[in-house]
Amino acid sequence: MVFTDASMLITEACVKAGADVFIGYPITPSNRFYQYGTQRFPSFLAGPDEITVMQWMAGFSAAGKFPVSATAFPGLALMTEGLNMAYAMELPMLLILTQRLGPSTGSATTGAQGDLMFLNGAISGQYPIPVFSHSDFKDSWEMTYEAIKTAIKFRTPVVLLTSKELVMTNKSFDLSTLKAIEPIEKFSTSVVEPYKPYKTGKEMVPPYIPLGDDKYQVRINASTHNDAGLIKKNDPESMANTKRLKEKFEKRIDEITFFDFDDQKGAQKLIVTYGISADAARDAVNDLRNSGEKVSLLIVKTMIPVPPKVMEIMNRFEKVIFVEENIGGIYKEIIYGNNCPKKVSSVNKIGSLISPSEIVKAVKK
Amino acid sequence: MTKNKILSKAKMPFCQGCGHGIIVRNIAKAMEQLGYTKHDTIIVSDIGCSGLVDPLFDTHSIHGLHGRAPALGVGVSLGLDNRDKKVIIIQGDGGVTIGLQHVLEAARRNIDVTLVVMNNLLYGMTGGQISGLSTQKFKEQKNFEVDVPPFEIVKLAHASGAAYSARATSIKTYTEVLKEAIEVNGFSIVEFSSLCTSYAFKKLDELQEVFEEAEVYKNERIPVKAHRNEKSSLLDRLQRIESDFDSKVKNKIGVVLAGSAGGGVQSAAKLLATTGMFSGLHSTMKGEYPVTVGTGFSIAEVILSKTPVNYTGLEEPDVVIVVSEDGWDKVKGNITEKSIVIMDNSLKNEETENINDKTVFGDFNRKAGKRGAALAALGYWLQDSGTMDVGALKKSVSSHKYSTVLLKAIDAGLEI
Repeated sequence: MVFTDASMLITEACVKAGADVFIGYPITPSNRFYQYGTQRFPSFLAGPDEITVMQWMAGFSAAGKFPVSATAFPGLALMTEGLNMAYAMELPMLLILTQRLGPSTGSATTGAQGDLMFLNGAISGQYPIPVFSHSDFKDSWEMTYEAIKTAIKFRTPVVLLTSKELVMTNKSFDLSTLKAIEPIEKFSTSVVEPYKPYKTGKEMVPPYIPLGDDKYQVRINASTHNDAGLIKKNDPESMANTKRLKEKFEKRIDEITFFDFDDQKGAQKLIVTYGISADAARDAVNDLRNSGEKVSLLIVKTMIPVPPKVMEIMNRFEKVIFVEENIGGIYKEIIYGNNCPKKVSSVNKIGSLISPSEIVKAVKK
Repeated sequence: MTKNKILSKAKMPFCQGCGHGIIVRNIAKAMEQLGYTKHDTIIVSDIGCSGLVDPLFDTHSIHGLHGRAPALGVGVSLGLDNRDKKVIIIQGDGGVTIGLQHVLEAARRNIDVTLVVMNNLLYGMTGGQISGLSTQKFKEQKNFEVDVPPFEIVKLAHASGAAYSARATSIKTYTEVLKEAIEVNGFSIVEFSSLCTSYAFKKLDELQEVFEEAEVYKNERIPVKAHRNEKSSLLDRLQRIESDFDSKVKNKIGVVLAGSAGGGVQSAAKLLATTGMFSGLHSTMKGEYPVTVGTGFSIAEVILSKTPVNYTGLEEPDVVIVVSEDGWDKVKGNITEKSIVIMDNSLKNEETENINDKTVFGDFNRKAGKRGAALAALGYWLQDSGTMDVGALKKSVSSHKYSTVLLKAIDAGLEI
């Protein structure tokens, strides 16, 4: 057994999966990622601000190096400009977002689950940026790998959504329970000739070839562009290329659908949760079942885009209870909007963790 | 090196008489004369009229955001394995203004890129508004913000550490100045004046009247690169803990340690957690302290359990160890009638003595010192309650960097 934390497992998983460089700007509660980043990543750079961090990340990615950074909402606010750029350019990278209590600077050392709504609209024009969450140490390892794999496979920035207590709490842990992680092949091995930087086949993702390549002339562009990677507006090719940014995820959503579904036979109640609230939900489900209550538990890990399979599960139940450490249920609102059906309720709280007893009470009501 | 055409056959997209086309042609000419090919040239472009250059270069290109091209170009340069490739960043005076920090950062690090600033003194795409690089004489002509001086980007870059900073004013010198800048191993910047026939001047001599004079500055510096060093696994560096001792913990217990910053509270809590692991228990630990880590309270919560712990919240602690006033203020609200409370003698008063009937006072601060008090109180509690073997605590300490000092603190607690 070892005594460790999820920041360390995530950092280690990043490097094992083939991440090349950590570009950091210090912010609480992502401090440990920065610290471990200096100790573990092959390359480390200290950015002067988060706007620069995101630009450097995009530059590294365009040159064929996989970049990782970690921040909290105030940093994300500055990075959003560059995140949109990298998304439009289709550059693989991983951003770890450690949630803390907002709004604004809020409380730097208090955890929260308040940033999902922002991420859901972070890319202008209703384009989904993949957002994964993790709920325990095993997930920290596996979802980091899946996040990097998704970033490379779909040529996209990916956000790993976490929160203060998930990554700053130490636990005893058996490392032998972790699966081995092998480096992910970054570059496209087969290119359809004649090569065009944004020309895609049925997989809907352009080949990943770095700037400076000796065979292919690479053009990368954040403005509306054609297959050649040059600015072109309002022509069918460029519009198809823009629509593809959404379609590539929609058509291949099953490849990036991750959740844990603990279904109890005969249960008509479903608890839906993610991230830091999942641990309390696990304990609550044990308590409820021990007291004879039938209840199922859905821990979602693919937060954005919302996978149809996740909605199918919710649709099967007569009561759905969302558990989230925020003021009114952000994930609930993403799923059901402002017109929530009667069967849906939620347990919410800010300032401290939601406890198992609070969930038990809500489910029994 | 093979002669290669850098300039493409694309039509110049600029207004009639605009100076940008001249600068583009000179960049291409300089690169061609230096022997660069399409595959070892990377153009990084910004937003604005200067951002229309990508198709004019038959090379690699990346088109980013307003003002950010120097930062993007720095990332590209640092990410390249082949350092013979050349990154040329092109931006206008508006781009330099909005992203000034990026220019200074690239200069400070002396990153191997060439930044070409096409200064047409204004924002051409949005109606000719003045920028941070609009010259004083130009603003006087426009009668706008004459009391605000412009940034002198060439001098600023030089002062920040750029290997090469220059302003070129005569078209005849453009190719040579660019060649000199491109050949520099490090950060080079060249500012060019560019005619904006739509919003500024129609004639070159009018422009020359308002533009600053040519200048060149150099710093003898080695460029900063991104180093790559493979490092060992963080997980391999962790201490392996096997269960060697028994414990009297039936299901699980929650312990809160409370003290002041610098009082060894977090370190004592970590030792308690590993003591639990040496005693066959699962453990969790989380700390809480103000953002100013060196002052105020320091709280740590430890859960020790027979089964793996999911939820790590601790609303009603079983044991509370308090060694300072800061700590007391923070935890007193969480103490219940059932909580065992171990407190330092210095905290003895009417309030603390009446918190519940399970409160014990000890002389931890005096016997073990401020830094050892939390650990001494921990040792006292383990020995007094028999919850876990003190031997397991001592084993936890044994591999610690400061094991001698820590063992002394534990022994002080055991003697109380």
